[in-house]
Amino acid sequence: MSVSYKPVIWNRTKMIYDGVLLAGIVIYILTFLKAGPLLSPALRDIDLPTQRMRAFGSLALLMLTIVLAIGPLARIDTRFIPLLYNRRHFGVMTAIVAATHAYYVLGWYFSYSPTPQLTALFTSNTSFTSIAGFPFELFGVFALVVLAVLAATSHDFWLSFLTPPLWKAIHMSVYFAYAAIILHVALGALLDRRDLALGLLLVGGLALLCTLHLIAGHRETAADATASAKAPEEPWIVVGDLSEIAEGRAIIGASPGGERIAVFRSKGSLSAVSNVCSHQNGPIGEGKVVAGFITCPWHGYQYRLEDGCSPPPFRERIRKYRVQLRGSSVLVDPEPVPLGTKLEPFPIPAELLAASASVSKQGGA
Amino acid sequence: MRRRHRRAHTVIWSGLAIALPLLLAIIFASAPKLPADAPAIRLDAKVTEGAQP
Repeated sequence: MSVSYKPVIWNRTKMIYDGVLLAGIVIYILTFLKAGPLLSPALRDIDLPTQRMRAFGSLALLMLTIVLAIGPLARIDTRFIPLLYNRRHFGVMTAIVAATHAYYVLGWYFSYSPTPQLTALFTSNTSFTSIAGFPFELFGVFALVVLAVLAATSHDFWLSFLTPPLWKAIHMSVYFAYAAIILHVALGALLDRRDLALGLLLVGGLALLCTLHLIAGHRETAADATASAKAPEEPWIVVGDLSEIAEGRAIIGASPGGERIAVFRSKGSLSAVSNVCSHQNGPIGEGKVVAGFITCPWHGYQYRLEDGCSPPPFRERIRKYRVQLRGSSVLVDPEPVPLGTKLEPFPIPAELLAASASVSKQGGA
Repeated sequence: MRRRHRRAHTVIWSGLAIALPLLLAIIFASAPKLPADAPAIRLDAKVTEGAQP
């Protein structure tokens, strides 16, 4: 977490994730170079440097499409959440693959230029008034710069230094990088040669990403619109029924302002916390209680039930809310207590505990 | 995610979903096309097997 700077805090899951990623990259490049000419007429009779250029360029587009699909997929179906765990390494690898593509392009097209390679890149095509002839290289340069900045600031040090809201806002520029890549590929490779596979990747990927992001966004907007009902006692809100909360899990309510609150049930008590993880704004309420700590489903950041603080030596904190029961209804005060305030979990009365246990058993049978 | 962040997501992707297909359509529609009476063998095309450049 955030105690000291380490380039990468490795664990087994990250190693497996990165191993699979690297293997995928190697397999794609080898397949493209070796089997590509056999499968596609577009790849026959072209020299190796051009093949390399196309291999890394198409891989960068494919990887960016996948990395941008992970977020909405995880919002739509929780089975995709494991892909989120090390998504930043996926993004960094994408930037490296895109940079390799740029390196081959510069080396092939501008090696013998009388001016420096970068000067030649920016001055070789100046058809700014033409649509089809527009210097598509500029879109690629813009996207590469954005990807490089995002890769350089992807470490938790920058997340902590810039604060999660600013970091998230900066990293949303990846969407504009994606738009630039779409234009780069369309104006460059697709206009130059009518490559069906690349066209499908571009148009299909764009359609897929727009659909996934808009579906996920629609669901979130609908959830925002349904704020939890107000309890008769102001300012409490009714988040749900005790029987809806499984042991070690949470139900999620929404305050009148729209911010979400997660109520966890653990060892016969209830604890209400903000649904927003202080690490990357992950949905804490979709996580579970592990070893007595609320654990975010995205990256495993942990918080104590009683005060919302991460266990020492870590320093992350999330807001806590007062919680109580009226009958079996779970009520939450939507005004959070100051950060770090200790608020003992609300004990569930014995009779409700027994009743909700039998309901859970019936539900689970 | 925070509410403001979620809204920004929705606005950006709604914009991209409209703008990018439109731009792609404009790009491909403006691609130069060969005239109907263009010669079969062209200097800017790849030389096919057996043909003389």
